[in-house]
Amino acid sequence: MTLLKHSTIAALFAAALLARAQFVDSGAPGRAGSKSQAVVYLSPEQVTIHAGKPSAVDLHFRVAPGLHINSHTPSDEFLIATTFSIANAEGVQLAAATYPAGESMTLASDPRTRLSVYTGEFVIHAQIVSAAGNHLAQGKLHYQACDRSQCMPPKTISVPIDVIAQ
Amino acid sequence: MSTFPLRRNTIVLGSVLFLLAVFAWAGWANWEYRQQAAARLLADAARGELVATAATGAPVYVSPLQGKMAPAFALNDLSGNKVPLSSYRGKALLINFWATWCAPCKIETPWIIELRNKYAAQGFEVVGIDTEGDDLKPDDKVGWAKAKEAANKFVAQEKIPYPVLLDGDSIATPYGGLDELPTSFFVDRKGNVVAAQVGLTSESDLEAKIKKALAE
Repeated sequence: MTLLKHSTIAALFAAALLARAQFVDSGAPGRAGSKSQAVVYLSPEQVTIHAGKPSAVDLHFRVAPGLHINSHTPSDEFLIATTFSIANAEGVQLAAATYPAGESMTLASDPRTRLSVYTGEFVIHAQIVSAAGNHLAQGKLHYQACDRSQCMPPKTISVPIDVIAQ
Repeated sequence: MSTFPLRRNTIVLGSVLFLLAVFAWAGWANWEYRQQAAARLLADAARGELVATAATGAPVYVSPLQGKMAPAFALNDLSGNKVPLSSYRGKALLINFWATWCAPCKIETPWIIELRNKYAAQGFEVVGIDTEGDDLKPDDKVGWAKAKEAANKFVAQEKIPYPVLLDGDSIATPYGGLDELPTSFFVDRKGNVVAAQVGLTSESDLEAKIKKALAE
């Protein structure tokens, strides 16, 4: 009985330590002082599709005001294309993705350089295939954002989608 | 009957080992947090901001590094040679942080080349520092090869005549975080930062700051 009591106390103590360690680590970014997110995922949070068949899902995103990101087909080989992917796990796969055409943009300092970008809201038409059942698909959007005079490092954001395949 | 003390000892030993492991993990997590917090504080302390000028009200980028020695570094160039900042002592220097994916960086590069050629005879030099922002680990050989290849291609395409160093991310903290590119620091012959700039401005603005670095 004493042993059980000691073990319980030890386990509680360990849990408290772990909770503290997790708490203090949670706010640490990979890069010091990173700015707030340039792109947010809007919808859908949940989709219901036919199991085993490619199903169309429109993914809605928004670029923060004053910023732009490169389109899926940037105008220069060095620029980073916006791409959507789904990790091949949890029984959900990305069969295809159709991206919107980019808007043409020039910077005041160099009107000869034309950029192909997304601003405001944009939609990626995805074809998703899922095994039967409920799955949490971990989608990812990779992009690189700029304003008219400066750029932020490339970033990948999570796009979690609750997939119900029947 | 004699197995009970043995089993109890095993449980106690297991619990002690478990606790030690938990302590070690918590200690490591705490150390890592403190490292990251210290890096954040350092970057915040060196991060500049836009300040309105008294005369015109036009915003000017002001860095806390101005008036101080440029933070020391030693980075590899594209040939793999270590280049320390101290090797530029005695010259006015533009430290230009850029990235291959940064369109404004590409726009200002020809201006920098032109100004470098114009003022080189007066003791002015430029060092470009590739800052891809991908936080590559030192042992990521594939990642480093890819980054180096992209930088080499960019340098060749833009015909950059000045030294280009790799891994600006490793010195981001003392230089204010480098959250936006291009970021430039103008250093006088004694090694002090006399001006800084974040974002694309104009060739004339760059030239004014170069003249300031040469004059100090």
